Amino acid sequence: MEGNIEAITGALALIGYGLGAIGPGIGIGIVAGNAITAMARQPEMQGTIRTTMFLGIALTEALALIGFVLFFIASAG
Amino acid sequence: MGSGFYFERQRKGAQLATMIVASECDVANEVICAPADVNELFEFPTIFTIGNFEVTRTEILMIFAAIVVLALLYFGLRQQRLVPSKFGVAVEGIVGFVRDGIGRDVIGPESTKYLPYLLAMFTFLLVGNLFEITPLINFPITSRMAIPAFLSLVTYWIFMILGFSRNHFRYLIDTAWPKTVPIGLRWLVGLIELVSVFLLRPLTLAVRLFANMVAGHLMLTLLLTSGVIFVAAIPDIGAKGAVGFFWFGLGLFMFLLEVLVAVLQAYIFTLLTAIYIESSIHFEH
Repeated sequence: MEGNIEAITGALALIGYGLGAIGPGIGIGIVAGNAITAMARQPEMQGTIRTTMFLGIALTEALALIGFVLFFIASAG
Repeated sequence: MGSGFYFERQRKGAQLATMIVASECDVANEVICAPADVNELFEFPTIFTIGNFEVTRTEILMIFAAIVVLALLYFGLRQQRLVPSKFGVAVEGIVGFVRDGIGRDVIGPESTKYLPYLLAMFTFLLVGNLFEITPLINFPITSRMAIPAFLSLVTYWIFMILGFSRNHFRYLIDTAWPKTVPIGLRWLVGLIELVSVFLLRPLTLAVRLFANMVAGHLMLTLLLTSGVIFVAAIPDIGAKGAVGFFWFGLGLFMFLLEVLVAVLQAYIFTLLTAIYIESSIHFEH
C-alpha cells in the first residue's frame, strides 16, 4: 500500500500546531503566575507589573502565533 | 450542493437573517455540524462594485464601526458640563482609561502626542471586536486579516520612524549588537532581537488579534447553529436531538466568554502599540 501523504497534509499541520502550542502554553502560565505573585507582594507596583506581564506574554505567545500562521501555510500548500 | 452553506435570508420573522446555517448537516449521523469549507464563514459575496473596488458586507461593517466610534466620541464629549450625563461619564471613562491606563503608564508624559492614535485604535477595535456578539451583525470585522494587518503596519511604521528619527542609525546597530550583553552571547541575543523587533513584532501583533477573533467566531457559529439545527430536528430523529440543548448552552457560555476576549484583545493590541512606541522613544533601556 502506497501511502498518500497529500491526503493528510491538513491533519499533519494541525498536529504540528498542537505540538507548537505546548511550549507557549507553559510559558504563558509561568509569566502570568509569577506576575500574580509579584502583584500580591507589591500591590502598589500593579500597573508596571501588568505592563511587563503583557509584554512577556506577547513575546512568549509569538511562538504559538508563528505556529498558527504555519498551520495555514502548511495546510494550504 | 457544494458549499454546504447558504445565507438564510428573509425567513419569516428574519431572526436568523444574517446567521449562516450548515444546510447539509446530516443530523442523524453527525454529533456536531462541521462546515464543509471554513472560508465560507468569513467570505461574503460582493454586494456592489465601485470601479474595481468590490464592496462586501465586511467593508460596510467596517465603515459602520467607524461611524459608531465617531458618534460615540462626538455625542459623549459634546458638552463639557460640570456634572456630565451618564453616557458622557462612560465615554470619559474609556478616554481616561486609554490616556492613563495605557498612554501615561506606558509611554510617560510624552504620551499626549500619541493619544489620538491610541484612542482611535482602541475604540475602533473595541467596536469591531464587539460586532462578533452584536445581534444581527454577528461578524467580527477583525477576523478578516486585512484590518489587523493594516493597523499593525501603521503601528510598525510609527515605531520604526520614531526609532530611527530619535536614535538615528544606532537604532539598528544597537539592536543587532547590544553593548550591555556579554560578548560571547552578543551575536545570539542580537540576532534574536533583530528578528523579533523588525519582523516578528508586526506579524504577531496582527495575527494575535486575527487568530482570537477567527477562533471565537468559528466556535460561536458552530455551537449555536449546531444547537439550533439539532433542536429543530427533534421531530425527525427523536431523543438524540436533545444534544442540541447542550451545544446551545455551551454556545451561550462561549458567548459570554467572547465579550471578555473582544475587550481584552482590543486592550492588548493598544497596549502593545504603546509598548512598542515607548521602546522606540526610550531606546537606551
